This record gives sequence, structure tokens and C-alpha cells, in this order.
Amino acid sequence: LTDALETLRIEVRRWLEANAPQHWRETCTTHEGFLATQRSWFATLAAGGYAVPHWPVEWPGGGRSLAEQKIIYEELARADTPRLLLSFMSTYHAASTLFEWGSPEQQAEYIPRILEGEIWCQGFSEPNAGSDLANVRTRAERHDDVYVVNGQKLWSTMGQFADKCLLLVRTSNAGAKQAGLTYLLLDLKTKGVTARPIHQIHGDEEFAELFLDDVEVRVADRLGAEGEGWAVAQSTLSSERGLTLLELSARMRGALWRIAEVIRTRGREVDVGIARDFGRLATKIDATCALADLFLANRIAGDERVGDASLVKLSYARTLRDFTSLGLRVSGLDAQYHAPIVFGGGMETGNWMADFMNSYAWTIAGGSDEIQRNIIAERLLGMPREPRNWTLEATP
Amino acid sequence: MTMSRAELQEAARQAFGEGDLAPDPAASWALIAEMGWLMMAVPEAQGGLGLGREAAGVVHAALGRALVPGPAIAQMLVIEALSAADDFPQRDDLLGRAMAGDVMTTSLSIGPGLDCVPDADRASHILVLSTDRVALVPLAGATVTARTTWDKTRQLFDVAPPSEGITLATGDAAAALGQRLQSQLLFALAADSLGGADAILGRTIDYLKIRHQFGRPLALFQALKHRVADMKTWLAAAEALLWSRAVEPEATLIEIAALKAHATSVYRAIAEDAIQLHGGIGLTTEYYCHLFLKRATLNSALGGDADYWEERSGLQALRSAA
Repeated sequence: LTDALETLRIEVRRWLEANAPQHWRETCTTHEGFLATQRSWFATLAAGGYAVPHWPVEWPGGGRSLAEQKIIYEELARADTPRLLLSFMSTYHAASTLFEWGSPEQQAEYIPRILEGEIWCQGFSEPNAGSDLANVRTRAERHDDVYVVNGQKLWSTMGQFADKCLLLVRTSNAGAKQAGLTYLLLDLKTKGVTARPIHQIHGDEEFAELFLDDVEVRVADRLGAEGEGWAVAQSTLSSERGLTLLELSARMRGALWRIAEVIRTRGREVDVGIARDFGRLATKIDATCALADLFLANRIAGDERVGDASLVKLSYARTLRDFTSLGLRVSGLDAQYHAPIVFGGGMETGNWMADFMNSYAWTIAGGSDEIQRNIIAERLLGMPREPRNWTLEATP
Repeated sequence: MTMSRAELQEAARQAFGEGDLAPDPAASWALIAEMGWLMMAVPEAQGGLGLGREAAGVVHAALGRALVPGPAIAQMLVIEALSAADDFPQRDDLLGRAMAGDVMTTSLSIGPGLDCVPDADRASHILVLSTDRVALVPLAGATVTARTTWDKTRQLFDVAPPSEGITLATGDAAAALGQRLQSQLLFALAADSLGGADAILGRTIDYLKIRHQFGRPLALFQALKHRVADMKTWLAAAEALLWSRAVEPEATLIEIAALKAHATSVYRAIAEDAIQLHGGIGLTTEYYCHLFLKRATLNSALGGDADYWEERSGLQALRSAA
């Protein structure tokens, strides 16, 4: 088994030596350059059979075990290839949800197009449904064989570039908040859809806001039954199996040279305090990598506990903040002069003020640090859950 | 190793269960010897069990978890040195006695003097390391000065050895052995620390669940939940690093030292906050919190502290991250 994995590693490494894009960051200073890089790298990976290793075996490039997927991701990180930001939601969230909940017709309609490069985004979050996702208010009313959808969605990753959207809507206000949700597949070219990029504080636009104004969605494009949306959404949210944080931790480890270079360039390597902080950070990254690795090993062995994923995410997010913070600190004034960012350049681009601000993406998105701490405390450590209701006490 | 980590962990847990903290020194020492832990790392050809660093990690974590007193770490360093030494007439006899539990000790500090020597008052020999010589010196007739420490689970002494003793290694071999022993010391301290950190964190969480104020358990207050969730996260990551380094035979001294610095920092942070989270009772000797705090701070200082090692690991990482 180990031999087979090592053979795969060598095979992937050789393939990457021939096929991994070089100097790709230089072309990603515009959205057009970013999109072109992402699309061509996805097509190359798909042709090479490495784009969807987590898919079932009947799909080209699919049928890889988690252990094999891990090897592929480690090699992609090692080769410093562009992360598949544009197609990530398509190959993971959309595909996994379709595999689990889609009818044969729905699967036949949508899944092949993902391999051809069709881009999906997620329409879950709303202005008042962030950490509290069940609070979704976007309304879908059934009229014969269509739903008419009205509302607003936020934080749709790559939503402005996407073709399709995984849409969580409210079809009922009766009963528990979760019970009134329904899951739809939305074509973003439908009349009444407006996608507007969200301008992030570091200059990127990785997310969009979606405005839905009397948008018609066929009932045939519903996943699961009406009122089953919460359960379908859970599949979407659990589609990623721990490889991303493993890859990102490895990439952070591999990017330590960027801080070292700044320290040397600025002649700060004689500063013992900085050397210490650098050493402390390197060990913390090692620990995060080891934790991500252990998490995946436990998953492969079926030993994962509820809450383990939160440990990895929290450890990564806090360590990334430390990483970017040290980079920012040692860069001094240099980092304060505005420099153009690299779109899709990863979490560690060496544009330190931008990287530092971008690190908040990991402490807020995908379940904020505070949500992760709740999960760890309640699910892993068995501490009591927050009371569900509260009332403002009357002050005498 | 012939036993899996889980099996060894289970055996260790049975020997030093979670209930009895800082158990009786004499009984603990007898149990450690009886379990065969002192002969763990010695090759089977020399009468040992031939287990590696991972097994040592399990044992030291178990000792740290229960705050077991005694000179186990020092004893294992002496045993390692005897086992590695070129054969000499009394070698097998000394090694056999050490593995059976006759106390032999060594300094746990990185200073040039023989300070921080556990249980020197009852030890027969002391291992003395210098840059070009490793020697085993009989302690009969030595000046042994007790140094009372805050951590009552360790008995430390300053020692002035009476003679040159038996040479175990010289020159490059001595330097290499010295490095290996230092690695082993740092790894043992890291394991002891993470065992202790896990124990005091678990006890703190239990306390938060039991203690009620304002008509609800403290464990319901989000500010407190979030603090222990952070601690759990750093502990889990440090443990993952410990066990990954445990199975990397090629791990360098600096890598092990960085692990030790990290593990002891995590232990300290958890033990310090445990006092705060226990409130008033944490300030008293009625409760166990202070025992963990004292062992955590001593572990931090032994073998070179975090400032010392992080400076070195940082400089090395700066050089290698090219």
C-alpha cells in the first residue's frame, strides 16, 4: 500500500514537473489574467486526471482514496501551483451535493459540465444569516412548475464569475427555522439575477453579492424535497474532507522563506527577538501541519471525532494570522506603500499588508473562530450548549 | 516497536491512573522499574526492550499526566549512555542495575556545572558530560547539596563529584552521544509537559462543568468556553507535533528543542490559566492546580528554556528558509 502511494507521488511529481504553470503569479495582476490562469490550469489538471480525485471511480480522474488525494495535494502544494479557487466550489460543493442528492437526470445534466469547466458558487449566507445560517430569509414561492425567488445572498465565493449557484431558500416560515429551507440549483444567467463583486479590504474581489428579483427556478432544479434544504446544505458544507487545510498548512510552511527574505534584506537577522519570533512561528506551523496530517489520518482510519475539524481550522487560522503579522511587522514601512496584489496568489504572496488583511478570511469565513471555539467546547469537550433563547432582562 | 502506542498508553494509564496525583515516590519508582520502562530503549541484545522514541514519549507523558515524582528522565539518560558506550568490564553489571532501578542520575540543566541533578542523595553514580568526554562517576564521597524547588515532585541537587570516574566516550563520540542525550532529555520534557497539560486541562474543564455561579455552570459562560477551546487547540497541535517527531529518527536536536520549547510553553499557558479558571480554590494547596503550575515552570527551565531554544531554532530556520 505504501509502495503504491509512493509510486503515485513520483508519478504526480513527474507530471507536475512537465505541466505545472511557471511564473503564473506574474499574469495574475488583473482579473482577466487570474481567470485565464485558473481556467487553463483546471483544464490541464482535468486532462491529466488530477482535477477530481475525490469523485467516484466512474468519472475520469475519480476514484482516488483519501490517502491518494492527500499525496496529490501535497505535491500540488510542493510545486506551488495555483490553488483551484475558481473551480473549487464546483468540484467539491456542487459535485458532492449532486452525487448525494441529485436525481440521475440532474447528475447527467450538471456533473459532466463541471469537468468541462462550468463554475458553481454557493448562495447560502445572507446579510442576516452568517454564522447563524438557519436564519435564511431569501424567499421562494412555488407557482406551478417554478419557484419565484426574491432576496439577497452574500459571500458567494467567485459568484461574479460563476455560471451556476447552489441556492438555499426559505419556502416556509412554519416550525423550526431549519425545517422551512429548500435547496435549488440556479442558473445565474436567469432574468432577475444581479451579481456584484464585494470589494475586500486588501483589494481582492473573491466574493459576490447576489440580488434575486423575481427569479424563476424550475421545480426540476430542486435538490431533495421541499423543506429538506438544511440537510442538503449540510452535505454541501461537509463536502471538503480536510485536504484544503492540509494543503494550506503545507503551503504556509513552504512560504516561510518569504519572511526570512524580508528579515535578511532589511538586515534584521542579527535581532535576537526577531529570530526567536521566527523560530516560534516555524514550530507553530510545524504543529499545525502535524495536526492537519493527523486529522486526515484519523479520517482515513474512521477515527474522526465531531469537532476535530474545528481544531484544525482554528489552529490554521490563528497561525496564518501570526505568519502574516510577523511578515507585516518585519517589513516595516515597506509594507505600508500600496503595491498591486496578485489575484488568487494564495495566502502568502509577500504583499504583507494585503496578506495580513486577507488572513481574516480564515478567521471569519467558513465558520468564524468563535463558532469553531463553540464547537470545540460543546462537541469535543462536552461543555453545555448556549441556551437557545434569550430575553433582555428588565432593569429595575 | 512491538507494542502499539495505544497499547503502551493503556498500560501506562493503568499503572498511573488519573486519580492519584503526585503518588508516593518509592512506590512509583518501584512500579516504573517493574513495568520495564527503564529498559525500554535498550536494545534487546543488552537485555532491554528495544523500543524507540515513541515509546519513551508515551511513558514520559504518562508520568507527566500523573505528576509522578522521581528521577526517571535522568535515569533513562544514564541508561542510554551506558548502553551506547564501548564495552568495559563493569558495563553489563552497571547497565543491569540501572535498568532494575538502582538510581543513577545526571544534570538536567544546560549549564557547565553539575546542577539540577535529580535524586543525587540516593544515586550511586552520576553521568557527567563535557564537550569531549562522557563519564560515569561514583557518588560515594561526593558533596551533594539539596536545592529545594517549588516543584515538590522533583528533588534536585548540586553535585561536586569526587573523581574522574569511568570514561564512556571521548572526542567526537562523546560529542555525538552528548547531543543524543540532550535530544532525549528535551523530548522527554516535551512529553512530560504535554501529558501534564492534558491532565490539568481535563481537570479544569471538569471543574467548569461542576462549579455553579449565578445559577448556572461556569462551563456555560462563553468567555470561559472559548478560553479552554483555544487551549485544547494548541494542545492538540503540540501533541500532533510530538508524535510526528517521535517517529522521525532523523529529527535534529534543534527540531526536538523547538518541540520542547513549544510544548513547555503550551503547558505553562494551560497551567497558568487553570489557576485563574479555578478561582479562589486554585490559589490553595487544597487543589491540584499549583502542582501542575510548578512542574510546568520547572519543565520550562530544565534543559534550556524557550528563549534559549527559540533563538537557536529561529536562527537555523532563517538560514535554511532560503
